[in-house]
Amino acid sequence: MRSRGRLRRRSAITGYALLAPSLFGVVCFLLLPVLVVLWLSFQSWDLIGPITFVGLDNYQSVLSDGVFGNSLLVTLIFVALVVPIQTLIGLGAATLLTRGLPGSAWFRTIYVLPWICAPLALGVVWKWILAPTDGALNTLLGQRVEWLSDPALALPAVAAVVIWTNVGYVTLFFMAGLLNIPGQILEAARIDGAGAVKMFWHIKLPLLRPTMFFVLVTTVISAFQVFDQVYALTQGGPARSTDVVAARIYYEAFDAFDLGRAAVMAVVLLVILVVITLAQQFYFRRRVTYEMD
Amino acid sequence: MKWTRFSSTAAVYVVLVLGALFTLGPFLLSILTAFKTREQFAQEPALSWPDPFTLDNFALLLTGPAQFGRAIVVTILAAVLILVGQLICSILAAYAFARVDFPGRQVLFWVYLSTLMIPPVVLVIPLYLMMTEAGLRNSFWSLVLPFAFASPYAIFLLREYFRGIPQELIDAARLDGANTLDVLVEIVVPLSRPIIATVTLITIVSNWNSFMWPLVVTTGSEWRVVTVATASLQSQFNGNWTLVMAATTLALVPLLLLFLLFQRSFVRSITISGSA
Repeated sequence: MRSRGRLRRRSAITGYALLAPSLFGVVCFLLLPVLVVLWLSFQSWDLIGPITFVGLDNYQSVLSDGVFGNSLLVTLIFVALVVPIQTLIGLGAATLLTRGLPGSAWFRTIYVLPWICAPLALGVVWKWILAPTDGALNTLLGQRVEWLSDPALALPAVAAVVIWTNVGYVTLFFMAGLLNIPGQILEAARIDGAGAVKMFWHIKLPLLRPTMFFVLVTTVISAFQVFDQVYALTQGGPARSTDVVAARIYYEAFDAFDLGRAAVMAVVLLVILVVITLAQQFYFRRRVTYEMD
Repeated sequence: MKWTRFSSTAAVYVVLVLGALFTLGPFLLSILTAFKTREQFAQEPALSWPDPFTLDNFALLLTGPAQFGRAIVVTILAAVLILVGQLICSILAAYAFARVDFPGRQVLFWVYLSTLMIPPVVLVIPLYLMMTEAGLRNSFWSLVLPFAFASPYAIFLLREYFRGIPQELIDAARLDGANTLDVLVEIVVPLSRPIIATVTLITIVSNWNSFMWPLVVTTGSEWRVVTVATASLQSQFNGNWTLVMAATTLALVPLLLLFLLFQRSFVRSITISGSA
């Protein structure tokens, strides 16, 4: 009995010792910063002077002026542009790549290349491609289109670049999902006389629901945080038409030097993303239990 | 019947090839332009072959005031230190979560997992304040420290894998007198090579590509990383696209090579998160 207690104590000590370094990192660089940003959202700080308590002033200022509202709206439009389009293209590409044609693996490799590369560097390349006078696209088209400086075109242009970056990632998941569908099910449907279109709508698409769900959630969350491509392509302009939330937080903090306001925006973004994640968890659990019935 | 089958296959290939060209186009444009002279760039279409083929852009980039060579060294050093730190801390933690019994194990694992919900953008401002207070702003350590101790994601992946290692192997080693560290070094790590390779790739890629934090925490060229150097080059030499494309080429090509070398591990490391 005593030796069992000793063993348990030894095992506890081993456990905590193994955990210590990572716990230090999690506490100092993940949990503490969340508390600090919450604290900072009630302070005023311009990076140089002292930090002073201002109560709810930052919240009032952020929620009353239209700048942050605009950023939220721009981000929502951006997500609404990027996610459905890249999902459709990814799904299409995955269907073509799972037909067992020779060379499919090569195409898959090519499509995923942009996703592993630095979004900032790719953004800079696209900045040149879309440049008004000496840009590759306008030279090809033979006319001057202000892709990035026309307020009506800038957000769709940034969205297009992000879609181009992400399509391969989405394709990979749909390929995995399609290849997981049991061959017998497809065979049975074929014997019942289902054509390619029917097969896709009534058999493959419903069976892809878990994959679809995962892809939508992860891409919505990442699209909400887009920064690198916006920084490279438009810096939030023209006329704040691409001023997504992450960019606004950055410029509020390190361009306007208003850390308090930036902290408020960060807190709002954190809340939005946590709510999305938890809603997804909740929905997923419920759906799974329904399927168990 | 045969003919329609053939023509639909041909149509599929046409679509796939067009997609591939569209995907590769920007990479090709970046690489081709990087080897061109400014004169050729100004006169010929973007997709022309470099003639004369020049290395001047790279030479200017690496030896000139842009200090791109230094940025590459800083980026590699930071990535290596972060990788080593993360691997050690994550392997220890993952083993504790997978195989050691201690009070609070479930709660702590849940806390680790819940930090995955925190978007990096939110961390930038408080970390900046913390680094300023610690006197570490604009230093090499400010690039490394926040990421060198733990990656909850890596811990999650490693724990799943470690749980699949047969307990009998560990027990047998224990009977031979091995302590926990011996077990880790002699049994767990050698048996977990695939997942460790996956974690290594994820860590290298995300650190080579990381931009917002280095942009915020460093000023001037001393501790600039490759992405930040590329961005500042673009605003500094706006319009000098041959030079800027040499920079993007240097930022992109190492990862392209890494990807082509470890293609299968890469694809697996991306899709592995799908089962998470």
